[in-house]
Amino acid sequence: MRYLIKNGSIIDPAQRVAMVGDVLVSAGKVEHVYDVADRYSEGGALNDDVEVINARGAVVAPGFTDLHTYLREPGEEHKETIASGTRAAAHGGFTTVCAMPSTCPTHDTAAVVRQVQAIAREQGHVHVEVIGALTVGREGRALADLAELAEAGCIAFSDGGRPLEDAALMRNALAYAAALGLPVMACCEDGRLSAGWAMHEGAVSTRLGLPGFPAAAEEARIARDIALAELTGAHLHLCQVSTAGGVALIRAARERGVHVTAEVAPHHLTLSEHWVLGNLPAGGGGAPAGRTTRSPHPELGVPAWLDPTLLPPYHPSTRVRPPLRTAADLEALVEGLRDGTIDAIATGHAPQSRVEKDCEYGLAAPGISGLETALALVLSLVHRGELDLVHLVAKLTEGPAQVLDRSPASLRPGARADLVIFDPDASWTVDATRFVSLGQNTPLHGQRLKGQVMLTMASGRIVFRRAGF
Amino acid sequence: MATSTSEPARRRHAIDLDDFSAAEIMEILETTASMKEVLSREIKQVPALRGRNVVNMFYEDSTRTRISFELAARALSANIVNFSARGSSVEKGESLIDTVRTLQALGADIVVIRHSQSGAPYLVAQHFHGSVINAGDGRHAHPTQALLDLYTINERLGQLRDLQVLILGDVIHSRVARSNLWGLTRMGARVTLCGPPTLIGPAHYWTATWPEVTVSHDLDAALAGANVVMALRLQKERQQAGLLPSLREYTRRYGLTPERLARIGPDVLIMHPGPMNEGVEISPEAATAPNAVIEEQVTNGVAVRMALLYRLAG
Repeated sequence: MRYLIKNGSIIDPAQRVAMVGDVLVSAGKVEHVYDVADRYSEGGALNDDVEVINARGAVVAPGFTDLHTYLREPGEEHKETIASGTRAAAHGGFTTVCAMPSTCPTHDTAAVVRQVQAIAREQGHVHVEVIGALTVGREGRALADLAELAEAGCIAFSDGGRPLEDAALMRNALAYAAALGLPVMACCEDGRLSAGWAMHEGAVSTRLGLPGFPAAAEEARIARDIALAELTGAHLHLCQVSTAGGVALIRAARERGVHVTAEVAPHHLTLSEHWVLGNLPAGGGGAPAGRTTRSPHPELGVPAWLDPTLLPPYHPSTRVRPPLRTAADLEALVEGLRDGTIDAIATGHAPQSRVEKDCEYGLAAPGISGLETALALVLSLVHRGELDLVHLVAKLTEGPAQVLDRSPASLRPGARADLVIFDPDASWTVDATRFVSLGQNTPLHGQRLKGQVMLTMASGRIVFRRAGF
Repeated sequence: MATSTSEPARRRHAIDLDDFSAAEIMEILETTASMKEVLSREIKQVPALRGRNVVNMFYEDSTRTRISFELAARALSANIVNFSARGSSVEKGESLIDTVRTLQALGADIVVIRHSQSGAPYLVAQHFHGSVINAGDGRHAHPTQALLDLYTINERLGQLRDLQVLILGDVIHSRVARSNLWGLTRMGARVTLCGPPTLIGPAHYWTATWPEVTVSHDLDAALAGANVVMALRLQKERQQAGLLPSLREYTRRYGLTPERLARIGPDVLIMHPGPMNEGVEISPEAATAPNAVIEEQVTNGVAVRMALLYRLAG
């Protein structure tokens, strides 16, 4: 099948291209990209066997890569499956997802890795890359057979959201992975400092009486792991960075030449700890605020269409690891994206079933089902003028590819036709009950967002197309 | 912040004091005085809540608070039943939401909930058509305790405005402290939190929500000028968790010892929400001093809970 995607605003960061034009896809590959000026130089022969897709007013970009996805299969298929998770990815404009090893069994043997790859080939809607477990059973006691996992095709090693407390083992893991040429992806949390946490430690946790996860618990662990990366010369990738202090540590390390890369999640860029308050008055000693319908936190610069007061207080959908932080952290994370300290936006897509979420806040499993709202959420930064659109697309395409040390996803002729068409200005209301992910756990249910994926193509095959597009 | 200060037509839930205005608190304290009068009669019962079903839903053991609510409900002629998590379907894995739906189906009008998880009453309120009263949730709130404290102070000292109140001890883990912060600051009292840094945390964590509050780690300095000292229970696990060097050092620095009792004089109210660890945060001498009102707090608790039940059911 051949497709001619016409009149789109083509954004291809890897080629430094941003222009209006057409993309011709053929046999699973990008065949040609036409500037509007030379579009018809090829003549009319195209029209015979080509399906024309009108992308006027929409952005055409390389498909997004998500470095941090919990697909839950094998082991927790009630939360998500490889089929449902990759379908959610397609809806979100992602053509590649990197599957975290937080499965049961975990990705600590080639057999499990091959099984995941096989299911992904058979049932996956987009490409799935497998992240191998760093330690046996992700228990933090002994290294997994990392070379075997590398041979099976793993693209990185990680213990998922479980922090590796043993510094000596982390050193060994980094040294060993370095020899295999693969990064170690670390979720940074000092488990003793964060013990018992329900949310970010600070003013809101104090007001709500919830045990806190201090920013220092992340920063201390980032500092340790950077020191170990420096010691071993390994490539350390920091997952789901959420603190201003963490960004500063990474910036300094990169300036020293340490091989460290980093990712940030859409929710950490846009939602603060105030979301746990929901519709409670923010305090400040005044009279009760009553139940407002508009954002009571203008100081956060939350646009009118992101309204935390749609949620009741202590809504478990706001519980995520690491937790939603402060307005100052949000600012520092966006600055980190702008100045290149942070390489990639990664969803941390963590679907949970209702059993894990419909309960008391402190007992709820952390996680946000993020694939289907990621683009619209980060586009709010563009709409607020905090990030430019080309830069944003780069953080979803070129950035993740660089982290994985691969040639970036691109629309250059001959490249695998992984692409997304999205309308950055289309408004829609989030309805979690209509997610294709099995995880309906999102704090954004009912929010008006701007920016919608219209079509996603993986290897030249349409894997998602919005009705009416 | 939004500026709407108008009261809801009728209060449905009492989960924290953060949404109580000074006027509403005053009204409740006035009703409490009437309820106290009822409790002083030979027949301690009025028919105000006849035919209403109140369920005490206690996920955490608390004999005192449970009995207080029970007596309050009975004095208003309500039907009250006790639901204790122990030995119930909860132990078999039933979720809080399912339990609430069941109680709803059984005809409960008011649920009184005690729970170890902060915020649990909000979850109950979302799934229950009647009223929810928070009888203490985690570290978050204990509004009836704060109301009875306000009543007791006001009854003894004749005012709340401009009083200097010292909340002493394990503030960070205390729902009593948080609800009193809302209540006292709203009534115009000045509050100082005093205790070791490990049991309070950074001062700006508190002043972000309660800007007028001050934090002190020096009890003897903080006692000067105080009109009320509210000592909080110190759980011995805090020492085991590494938050304190030793209980001995805690008592020396932050205990209401006989020496401190002598220094503050007879006009300063000594309060404690109970249960006390005598000899740790409070000495037996201080607990039984003429200016200690700890038993009055318990007595007033029944009347305050009657006033609140009456207000929600009214």
